[in-house]
Amino acid sequence: MRRDVTAMTMTTNRSRIATTLAMPAHRLLLSTAAAALTAYIFLSPAHAADTRKEAKIDIAPGGMVNIISGGGSVALHSGSGRQVLATYTVHSDKIEVDQNSSTDKQRVELRTHALPGQQPTADQARVDYDITVPSGVSVNVSTTSAPITAEGLSGDIGLSSETGQITITNALKSHVRVRSMAAPVTLKDVTLSRIDIQSAGGAVQLSNVTGQRVGVGTTSGNIEYRGDCSGGGDYIFTTHSGAIDMTLPATASVDLSARSTTGAVENAFPLEERHHNSFVPQPGRSFAGTSNSGSSSVELQSFSGKIRVKKQ
Amino acid sequence: MNCQQFQEVLPYIIESGGGGEDEAHLQTCPSCAALVQDLRYIAEQAKLLLPMHDPNPRVWNNIEQSLHREGLLPEGRMSLPGHLTKNSTAQAQAKSWTPVGWALALTATILFAVVLTNYKPQLPQNQLTAQNSSAEPSQFNSDDRQLMSQLSQQSPEARGAYESSLRDVNAYISDAQQAAQRDPQDPTAQELLQDAYEQKEMLYEMATARSLP
Repeated sequence: MRRDVTAMTMTTNRSRIATTLAMPAHRLLLSTAAAALTAYIFLSPAHAADTRKEAKIDIAPGGMVNIISGGGSVALHSGSGRQVLATYTVHSDKIEVDQNSSTDKQRVELRTHALPGQQPTADQARVDYDITVPSGVSVNVSTTSAPITAEGLSGDIGLSSETGQITITNALKSHVRVRSMAAPVTLKDVTLSRIDIQSAGGAVQLSNVTGQRVGVGTTSGNIEYRGDCSGGGDYIFTTHSGAIDMTLPATASVDLSARSTTGAVENAFPLEERHHNSFVPQPGRSFAGTSNSGSSSVELQSFSGKIRVKKQ
Repeated sequence: MNCQQFQEVLPYIIESGGGGEDEAHLQTCPSCAALVQDLRYIAEQAKLLLPMHDPNPRVWNNIEQSLHREGLLPEGRMSLPGHLTKNSTAQAQAKSWTPVGWALALTATILFAVVLTNYKPQLPQNQLTAQNSSAEPSQFNSDDRQLMSQLSQQSPEARGAYESSLRDVNAYISDAQQAAQRDPQDPTAQELLQDAYEQKEMLYEMATARSLP
């Protein structure tokens, strides 16, 4: 097929050369310009309907940025200063982004919405946001299918999506709240934070995530944790039918209990038996024990999902 | 008459053909009409299984003689099917049921019962709210149906996703409730129940906060 294309291109080039030789100079120039314009319109990735805008919005310390969107993407970064830097690309003329700011600069809102009388398709409703947020400013993002990524933020982070992947990396001393219907959720290197994740069907992956409280609840989504559960916090993972997989290093200092109502429970991590348990461990259904000084409390609970704890 | 009431009298309808009110419902409900059509087909096919007669007695005689010759059949072990011709008509009818016929008839009966027991009509949306929630006790309550109805107007794709999630979370609530009832002192069961309700609350919040299709 490539050979055919090459042959066709050569034929086209030959005829173009022949035509070119017969053309006056100004017609040649016009033809070239027209061809370049046509190629730009049809081949350029930035389609004519795409509209890119940039905005610098003042925000007070401790303020909040609210972003509400459907499809597309939302990328959040940490910045300095006292301004929110918002860049967004709208992919159709059927939608627009409303940008509002309260008079006291405590609240900034970017909201995607359809123009009156327009019914954009999912593809037309896409908006790609790239937002830089000053340190300590709270962020709330809600999307339907747009993936959300947050890199290096601190402060209150609230992310919600029906189906768009949610990813948080390198967050420190944050309060993270994540809501997902079917969206996969990934947290990596989120430390000294308070974390609350609710996901109905989306899988939740946590890697090197620590804090005072790390809570994950799912209906059918799997929960995977890799890390040492450090910080003397409470780690509570609960699911109905999803699997819970926890991988701990030998140095992990945890007081761990795992219980499933009807699912299987497996432990391949060395634990010392507790002297006092709030329940009687049942082989295959539950276990409990302590590793090292047991500084963090880890509770793994499922109704029918399988629970596995293993050594890293 | 709604679908639930119709289903309650369904066995009578299959047996006798139904009355005017039943017919009126069938005219307006394609879901129930399709069910009745399927059940009638099964019933007709089951009837075809009944008159399965034994082969000609000469076949049995030949088989028996062959078995005797081979020494595989002790005397008196096997009744002579040829004797059927000496029995009364009623007995002959009863004897005409071969084991295969019995098995097929039994299978058809079980299939019929399973279809009747497990049938859940896919109702048109406007009929959902009119139905008693006990028709699907563990799936959706009236609030769920109202929510899905609202979502249908916004986006059918979203409705499907929420319907699936709500079904799962309702199953979670149901399981957690039963676990908590079995052992009210079990803290894990209580936590599972609380988590299940939080999941449902989250779905409701997300559904009501949808901004774009």
